[in-house]
Amino acid sequence: MMTEAPLLQLAEINKHFPGVHALKNVHFDVRRGEVHALIGENGAGKSTMIKIVSGVYQPETGAIQLEGQRVHFANPREAQRAGIATIYQELGLYPELSVAENIFMGHAPTKNRGFFQTIDWERMEQGAEALLAELNIYNLDVQAKVGTLNVGNRQRVEIAKALSLDARILIMDEPTAALTESDVEQLFSIVRLLRERGVSIIYISHRLNEVFELADRVTVLRDGEYIGTNDVADTSESELISMMVGRTIENLFPKQAAEIGDVVLEVRNLNRPPLTRDISFSVRAGEIVGLAGLVGSGRSETAQVIFGVLPAESGTILLNGEAVEIHRPSEAVRHGIGYVPEDRGRQGLVREMTLRENTSMAVLESVSRNTFVNRAEERRLANHSIQQLSIRATGPEQIVNKLSGGNQQKVVVSKWLASNPKLLIMDEPTRGVDVGAKSEIHRLMSQLAAEEGLAILMISSELPEILGMSDRILVMREGHLVGEFSRAEATQELIAHAMMSEEARRTSEASA
Amino acid sequence: MKSKTSPPRNPTLGEKLHHLLISQEGVLFVIMLVSVLFLATRTDKFLTVDNLLQQGRFMTEVGLIAIPMTYIIITGGIDLSVGSILGLTAIVLGWTWQELGFPLELAIITGILSGTIAGFVNGLFIVRVGVPPLIMTLATLALYRGLAEGISEARSARGYPEWFFQLGQGEFLGIPTQLWLLIIAVVIFGIILARTRLGRALYAIGNNETGARFSGLTVNRYLLFIYTFSGFMSGVAGYIFVSRVSTTRSDMGTGIELDVIAAVVLGGTSIFGGTGSIPGTIVGVVLIQLLKNGLTLSGVTSDATIVVIGSVLIFAILVNNFIQSRRSEN
Repeated sequence: MMTEAPLLQLAEINKHFPGVHALKNVHFDVRRGEVHALIGENGAGKSTMIKIVSGVYQPETGAIQLEGQRVHFANPREAQRAGIATIYQELGLYPELSVAENIFMGHAPTKNRGFFQTIDWERMEQGAEALLAELNIYNLDVQAKVGTLNVGNRQRVEIAKALSLDARILIMDEPTAALTESDVEQLFSIVRLLRERGVSIIYISHRLNEVFELADRVTVLRDGEYIGTNDVADTSESELISMMVGRTIENLFPKQAAEIGDVVLEVRNLNRPPLTRDISFSVRAGEIVGLAGLVGSGRSETAQVIFGVLPAESGTILLNGEAVEIHRPSEAVRHGIGYVPEDRGRQGLVREMTLRENTSMAVLESVSRNTFVNRAEERRLANHSIQQLSIRATGPEQIVNKLSGGNQQKVVVSKWLASNPKLLIMDEPTRGVDVGAKSEIHRLMSQLAAEEGLAILMISSELPEILGMSDRILVMREGHLVGEFSRAEATQELIAHAMMSEEARRTSEASA
Repeated sequence: MKSKTSPPRNPTLGEKLHHLLISQEGVLFVIMLVSVLFLATRTDKFLTVDNLLQQGRFMTEVGLIAIPMTYIIITGGIDLSVGSILGLTAIVLGWTWQELGFPLELAIITGILSGTIAGFVNGLFIVRVGVPPLIMTLATLALYRGLAEGISEARSARGYPEWFFQLGQGEFLGIPTQLWLLIIAVVIFGIILARTRLGRALYAIGNNETGARFSGLTVNRYLLFIYTFSGFMSGVAGYIFVSRVSTTRSDMGTGIELDVIAAVVLGGTSIFGGTGSIPGTIVGVVLIQLLKNGLTLSGVTSDATIVVIGSVLIFAILVNNFIQSRRSEN
């Protein structure tokens, strides 16, 4: 079995996106009837790679071989015809159609009726039942609308749909992200069943315990590069983590040493399930606290609990030692909290409006006299922001939509600086921002903390950013705070381990 | 990007004029002028001071309601219940005076207050329960009209004292009294929309409600206010209506919401929210009223008049879209 030629083989794959070398000479192969896990941090290139395998993207260089034959997929349909099916995170089903219709979408059995071809409902429903039975699923009504099913059952429909296309390779992108525990168990048994039948599975996951439970081999990508492939039996969790994060921290972030002052924000037992559970921590004046965790670990949700977008169900928020009630963002702003949100376009800006109108939006009250907005004052504010953050714009009257991503982000930051906050929450402050703007934002953060004593809570998915900018680092996992590290003791391995490993949570709970 | 960073300079008068002319309101104003000139050649009864002032009298109710409607449509909402609120106000006014024996002054206040409450109820459901404005006000369009009919029991109130007609039928300095009210309201609420925090918030909500909320704007409070304001203005319009026609009937204001919305949209307010102005809305109101009147005076039948007005609406919107898209390309 080990010596058999691989079913699918990728070699020397390269792919660029504007500004990013997404895949650099990547290798990958899949054997018949194996579960091959693909792991790596956010932005490591996993998604790009599966999109190349499934025909969504075409590689610039390199070759794909299927059963030793060179193949080229111009679109997803061609990959499907070759027997490669993908089950994406956001499930691609039609909620208003039945289970059977979804399974046979695009290739429903038909019968001739004179001039017309009509769908052969009976054959379709029997076919759907047979496919589900192959997966040991007998309790699913094939006439039920998919929209009425739970996530686990929808996923089973997706898998049946892939099998109806005679898939030989099944790509599963974070299949357990939205599942309950019992659904995960059932998914695992389906995956094992498929493996026994000789179907190969490419399994992408952030959860290392799943890799060890399910996979035969595991390939690690990091920053678009191929790091290595190990047999799961011969590797360990810590080896995989160091393969994933073994990146050198470039000296991109010249953090100024800051004098750490009094506690500005303290939260106690903050609760809003499912993604904020019993969270307690504090941020001091002049301190940058990094909040690390995987996507979906509850970092943004916790920030939004503090900012009043998702008000807390229980727990206490103290600002400068005083307990405050925050039920909506306007109250948070009044208490001196600013929030640079993750979704810049939808939450951070009103992009159809001008730079001037955006920079003054959180301080409309103070730039107004007797409720009349003072435009001269607004322009002064906007010009000040343009200078302070070196925003590249034609002037205060430019529509924000016309600015580049980095400059739009600077407008969001300047809006909150204008409000003179005590605490600034920054959710992925440099995502989708070019390198120059990124280092300018970092310089500004560091300067604000050191020189003006601003307390900053920074959420980031980039470990180098977390390590480079933070005085203290908190780690979240599945809605819980699972670790806290000082700047001195933190390493990429420690933090990644806390983010991903089941054990970290258990030990932190045991020690708490 | 960098080549554009030339120092800003003040635009010359010519540039300002050009800018004004190709703005939404400017284009509409030109269309209005052309229509007026054309109608004036068809009949000599149209372009007279008396006739134009008379038209001012007729359009005041639509104009007053169009002000809050502009606010609401700018936020991306709609209020279909304004005509029913107008009718409800009129009925409450007549009923409290004639049946309950309220002093007429108190009856007027009660009527307008009931209109305001009706608007507040709309706003409350839209903000607190999250009912879409279209659905909520479609429901109260029926509900408030039903209330009015129930209270009136198909009777009409008449026999008001002479002073009551001053607002609807009188003149002040040679101009219909209610037109003064409209002019003052347009100036005040035009400035409020263009210059104050409230106005800025409405544009922000219409362009991106989430972004406005995340910036700490009290979105719900603003929305609640504008729907209440809409009820209040519909109430005032109801009072003027009764004063103008000397009687109270429960079917007053039926269909006026469509005239109002047509004028607002014709005036350049995007039905998707985010843009619009009071001057634009007023030009829209005036244009529709003058077309109706001018065509009737020219001997065009009323069926044909509606067809012409519909065509002008489409034409004006097309011309505006064309000019605005050309403008944003530059």
